[in-house]
Amino acid sequence: MDVLSTAFLVALVAGALRQTTPLLFTALGGMFNERSGVVNIALEGIINFGALAAAVTVQLLEAPYLAQDPNVRIWWIPWVGVLAAIVAGVITAWIHAVVSIRYRADQIVSGTAINMLSFGLPSIVLLFLYHNTTASKEVVHRIMPLHAYLPGLQDFFATPIGRILDQSPLVYLAFILVPLTYFALFKTPWGLRLRAVGEHPAAADSLGINVFLMRYQGVLLSGVLAGIAGAYLSIDQINQFIRMMAAGRGFIALAALIFGKWHPYGILGATLLFGFAEAFRIQIEGAGILPSPILQAFPYVLTMLVLAGFIGRARPPAAIGKPYEK
Amino acid sequence: MNRLLVPLVSLVFVALAAVSPWFVVTRAFGGKGVLLAPFGLVNPGGMRVPEVPLGWVHPAFWAWVALAVLASLAYLFLKGKARVQALYLLGGLGLLLFALEAFAFYRQVAEVNAAALEAGARRPPLKRYSLSLGLYLQFFYSLFLLVLAKIHTPGGAGLLVRYRGVVVPAVSLILAMVAGGVLVWLLRPVPGLREPLSTYEYLVAKLDLVTYTFQLLFGPVLTLPGLFQSALIATPLIFTGLSVAFGFKAGLFNIGAPGQLIMGAVFAMFAGLYLPGPKFLVLPAAIAAAALGGAIWGAIPGWLKARFGAHEVINTIMMNYIALSVMLLLLSKNEWSFFGHVVHFPFKAPGYEPKSLEIHETARIPLFLNLLGFKGAGPGELSLALPLALLLLLLGYYVFFKKLELGPRVLASLGAAVAGYLVGGLLPGIPAQVGADLASVRLNGAFLIALFSVAFYNFYMWRTKYGYELRAVGLAPKAAEYAGVKITQKIVLTMAIAGAFAGLAATHYVLGGGIDEYRFKQSIPYNVGFDGIAVALMGQNTPIGVTLAAGLFGVLLTGGLQLNLQLGISRELVLVLEALIVLFIAAGGFLPRYFTDPLLAAEFLKRLAPEAEKEVA
Repeated sequence: MDVLSTAFLVALVAGALRQTTPLLFTALGGMFNERSGVVNIALEGIINFGALAAAVTVQLLEAPYLAQDPNVRIWWIPWVGVLAAIVAGVITAWIHAVVSIRYRADQIVSGTAINMLSFGLPSIVLLFLYHNTTASKEVVHRIMPLHAYLPGLQDFFATPIGRILDQSPLVYLAFILVPLTYFALFKTPWGLRLRAVGEHPAAADSLGINVFLMRYQGVLLSGVLAGIAGAYLSIDQINQFIRMMAAGRGFIALAALIFGKWHPYGILGATLLFGFAEAFRIQIEGAGILPSPILQAFPYVLTMLVLAGFIGRARPPAAIGKPYEK
Repeated sequence: MNRLLVPLVSLVFVALAAVSPWFVVTRAFGGKGVLLAPFGLVNPGGMRVPEVPLGWVHPAFWAWVALAVLASLAYLFLKGKARVQALYLLGGLGLLLFALEAFAFYRQVAEVNAAALEAGARRPPLKRYSLSLGLYLQFFYSLFLLVLAKIHTPGGAGLLVRYRGVVVPAVSLILAMVAGGVLVWLLRPVPGLREPLSTYEYLVAKLDLVTYTFQLLFGPVLTLPGLFQSALIATPLIFTGLSVAFGFKAGLFNIGAPGQLIMGAVFAMFAGLYLPGPKFLVLPAAIAAAALGGAIWGAIPGWLKARFGAHEVINTIMMNYIALSVMLLLLSKNEWSFFGHVVHFPFKAPGYEPKSLEIHETARIPLFLNLLGFKGAGPGELSLALPLALLLLLLGYYVFFKKLELGPRVLASLGAAVAGYLVGGLLPGIPAQVGADLASVRLNGAFLIALFSVAFYNFYMWRTKYGYELRAVGLAPKAAEYAGVKITQKIVLTMAIAGAFAGLAATHYVLGGGIDEYRFKQSIPYNVGFDGIAVALMGQNTPIGVTLAAGLFGVLLTGGLQLNLQLGISRELVLVLEALIVLFIAAGGFLPRYFTDPLLAAEFLKRLAPEAEKEVA
């Protein structure tokens, strides 16, 4: 295989953008809750539940229409799926928030419980709906890449640049969110408050900021974004939910969050790096350069090195992981 | 305590008992059954059964209503000693009534079956008959009254808080079961439903479905093969539970048990494949190798935390994935190409299956039945060697050598155990029959290693200076440091030992053939490392607790198979229960905070103390 051919590069970049998207959504979500002082290792579980909700919703919505006309395509159905994923993500995050903010539980334990729940509960739902425990029915209404929405630009999408840009709207949304979250976090009073409760909740409290409310908001926002990441996996990248679909992406996102030093642009860089690494690994699979498991371990090793301070210093929000008591 | 508590609980109890199945007269495979509730017989599947004279259930229900009303009145209007006596009396009466009903039911069913057999039936017509939810409710309601009475005796108010180590997990378990029951209620239809049901019958049938779900889940405790299978599944859970608990005690969260288990398996595989020598050297070395593999994988995050302050949670998660990559590298392909250099892995089994070669005979842990002197299914002799050794070990430690110092005490007990093993081996064995279902369970010696690990955990944590230091670090790191504990060293050591426990779980899978073959297979269920978190929390980090919690999950997971076969409910229900238990324990069982915070608990108990004195005076 020629590593420098245009075809290879186009496939690599396009693949990298697709690999980056769910990580970016999730890591940006994780940024909000960690900045507010709550550890959320439940991101993995939120992705799973989001993916399940999206696929099931789309399948149940489209079934009556498809029964009438197998070729019908309704534009809003996949977006309702995304909405369902957001709702599922928010509910999951809300459980984490209640247990860890209201009941002051150990946030790691609570997150672990939610992850475990997301490995088991979907199987029961799938068995009820589809009579198997591992996968949902395939859906017809996926979120399509741009060329499906812009039929006039077919020629452009056939060019190398066009093929890279021919991504789903969710990919664009993920990247647009980076400056938006930067603005929200660093340029608005709300962002200042959120960061304050994560750094020094007692001081924030004394200034009249509602610490609990800010933390709830931080955690629920992570539910929104990680939920979208789930929808991206189940009704965009492919067209069904598969058990344990997140496959560690929640944890890689957590790693990217640390690697990116809890900052939107840092997170963008980290997720792009991990996304490129994964796309590269898939592209050179079988080329005999390095065994793919070694490449697979790359993001994890890198994160550990960063965390230990070998590559820059990562400083988490000061009050992270500590329940706040008035 | 709120005055309305007893009336409310009684009301809920009576309402629930009224619509609960009290007895299952007979049940077909698959859950279809004939149910007896206080207001009639419910037969959703339309089964034909001989009549059992159970007309007394309806009056029995009203007896319970009377009991509940009396208990409420006594609680509301009596004071002091009279109230306590009334509650004790009613609770005892309830237990008596419960026992009478259960006894009457079983005797009547036996009579009906005997009569049918005498009349020429080939099989007893009533099968899988059992008590059901209504009777369980009665039992627990009586217990509730007794506990309440105890709480209202002078000085008894702290009872629940004092036993919070049991109360919090128990409440969490009950809440998780209720949530799981709701899930089953929502997702499964009544089994074998043929005739349209009235609302009352529907409620009874649904409650029976929920009850039967849990009867199946807890069913394995009733049979020997079931218990063996549960112990088999519990073995790795004990190891990983100890691993997580060990970290918790020092204030460290070890989510790395899955990775440590994998590295234990890697080391055990290499030891089992390449160590030469006789069995009595190779086997211990292979077991030690498994521990070493896990210890290294645990020590790395420990060192990173001690040296650089990197949080162990993130690092252990990362190490899990790295271990996974190591496993894929070793097992998924026969040869890999590094920049064009082809490297061949000689330990990988030829072919596409991701597994290693079989380890040598000398490194294999024998099956538990073989340790007991049996040779597979069929007639055999139960050798007294192992039982006697264990008995003498325990007797030696707790009775004979109790006065000695710790070191000599352990050594002397071990000596007694060896003597017991030799003597027991010389004694004639007890003839016994081993069923095929029992012989097929692959429970092996790793179970004993797990029990010894529990003992080690107990010693290390509560009987040695190192354990004392470790707990001090967990409770108050600053104070411990000031008292001279080297925190950094302690963190690395703790994580290493925690990792070693998780690594030892590999002895079960690789050396003990826990999943059918004596190999390192890619299908090794490393997720039990996460289950260890549930086990440690449920067991409140105590040795007994971890063992019991692992046993509980072993039973539930074993019962899950039957659940799948009979009711078509996925085994994953057990995973859901486990996750919910963890979640609820994390939230302190939604109990007041003095149940979870030791300082608040102490304060609560102290506040009670003068009150008790006053009442006595």
